[in-house]
Amino acid sequence: MARIIEEQYVWRLPVRIYHWINALSIAVLFVTGIYMAFPIISPPVGEAVWYHRMAWVRYIHFGTAFIFIANFLFRLYWALFGNDRYGRFGGFKPWLPAWWGQPFKEQLASYLFLKKEEPDYCGHNPVAALTHFLFVFLGSWFMILTGLAMYGENNPGGFLDTMFGWVVLLFGSSLTMHTMHHLVAWVFPVYLILHLYAVVRHDIVNRSSITSSIITGYKNRVEECAEYAD
Amino acid sequence: MEKKETFAEVFEARGVKRRDFLKFCSLMSVYLGLAPTMVPRIVSAMEKKPRIPVIWLHGLECTCCSESFIRSSHPIVADIVLNMISLDYDDTLSAAAGFQLEEIRKKIMKEYKGKFILAVEGNVPLKDNGVYCTINGESFLDVLKETAADAMAVIAWGSCASFGCVQSARPNPTGATPVHKIIKNKPVVNVPGCPPIAEVMTGVITHFLTFGKLPDLDRLKRPKTFYGVRIHDKCERRPYFDAGMFVESFDDDGARKGWCLYKMGCKGPTTYNACSSIKWNEGVSFPIGSGHPCLGCSEPDFWDNGPFYTRRADVSFVGVNSNADKIGVVAVGAAAAGMAAHAIGTAIKKGTSESKTVETEED
Repeated sequence: MARIIEEQYVWRLPVRIYHWINALSIAVLFVTGIYMAFPIISPPVGEAVWYHRMAWVRYIHFGTAFIFIANFLFRLYWALFGNDRYGRFGGFKPWLPAWWGQPFKEQLASYLFLKKEEPDYCGHNPVAALTHFLFVFLGSWFMILTGLAMYGENNPGGFLDTMFGWVVLLFGSSLTMHTMHHLVAWVFPVYLILHLYAVVRHDIVNRSSITSSIITGYKNRVEECAEYAD
Repeated sequence: MEKKETFAEVFEARGVKRRDFLKFCSLMSVYLGLAPTMVPRIVSAMEKKPRIPVIWLHGLECTCCSESFIRSSHPIVADIVLNMISLDYDDTLSAAAGFQLEEIRKKIMKEYKGKFILAVEGNVPLKDNGVYCTINGESFLDVLKETAADAMAVIAWGSCASFGCVQSARPNPTGATPVHKIIKNKPVVNVPGCPPIAEVMTGVITHFLTFGKLPDLDRLKRPKTFYGVRIHDKCERRPYFDAGMFVESFDDDGARKGWCLYKMGCKGPTTYNACSSIKWNEGVSFPIGSGHPCLGCSEPDFWDNGPFYTRRADVSFVGVNSNADKIGVVAVGAAAAGMAAHAIGTAIKKGTSESKTVETEED
């Protein structure tokens, strides 16, 4: 049984606030988005002008999307310029061959049961960093760019269309872009499963109280704690 | 080289009253989104400028664009609309045929070098040196390139010429390619639609005659005037969309009451065209008005974005019957199964390593 050596302050408040706004807005965006593509609730009774059911779902989707974007941009700022050892991009340099070296290989081997040791990082381990980059960073960029392009479609020549209308051309047609926005949205529930599993697993294997750390900010240091960040 | 008649002269010769002529001019100004003060300019252009000679080529197509064009509703007499332009060469409509007709094309190209409009209906098969569409022994590719070289501008009529339409739908066996991907050194305007609305076609030509240049184009080279509004944003059924009142099948109560066709696969939310404002057949109706979802015929790749009667399109690179949600559910299922398997793996790993520790302690 591992012994708690010390409590470490890992996730600073901005990171924790970002995390929960992000989690909530993704949940709202996913549910409203799926509903918009496939509205299943039976129609209201009465005149159409009395109701705005679909309009409200879209309104919530768009409103939440702007919160999501603002939150994402804030996190981007924090990752680039924040005074935060574990919340910065810092050591994440996948364009350098060295980054794919020993720490990454060991962590991957451990996840694949090829290695007995379970490395314990204070911040993100290299495999986690890569997963976040692929799912959360690239996934968010994809959803933001296609989303803003779609949002600008009702007003060709307007601000959003001028800024993001070129995205439509990458997909060939507007409908293909809609379909891809819908398809890539599923990246987030897939990520959620991986994320929750990895968190719970690390909590059990390393006993680092990683689950509660995103609320309190503190992780327990048990025995030796490998360093990955910078 | 004889002097070209003006539009007004042609109209007069055909017995169109001055009043109807002026009506036509004001209508065109409305379609083009011009201020009322611009009407005299259209009238003046119609009266003074000689008609623009037009060579109308037909590639891989079904002639529905021509069918639409000769049914322009204003002015009422159809053959006068055909005389809107000086249609000097059109292998579908001309009385002449064969070498005689090809002579006429060569003659116009020479006499009006750089001054005629090349209208292209249909697209160009590029595979196997273009053998899948030949005119008088020449491949359509060569005819198009030869004629476009002397043209002032090129109008790509219809979705075929603009985006490829059904011929270029996967797997595109003939390598059908839209005009703007072949003619790079001339101004090209795309007038998509399968077919385009007749008034949109006449509107584009009226604009060209009045101002001597092509109308303002958007990113897909479409005239902003006619393709600047989504069907969805001007749809008469929009209140039902916002309220969440959808047709579920073509014979249900909602269909009878004229509810929104979104769930029937309506492509109105992703389609730019003038159908919901100008409408069809002298403004009688348009597909959604008649209870049929928009197919998005004026959008690129609309044949590959099927099926027509479902909102959630197939994901092209996965195959038919593969909408985003089906793929997503499978992906989520796979992730869950993978994580469950990993959890079992972790438990076994933990179990074996703990028993080993116990063993070593015993030793």
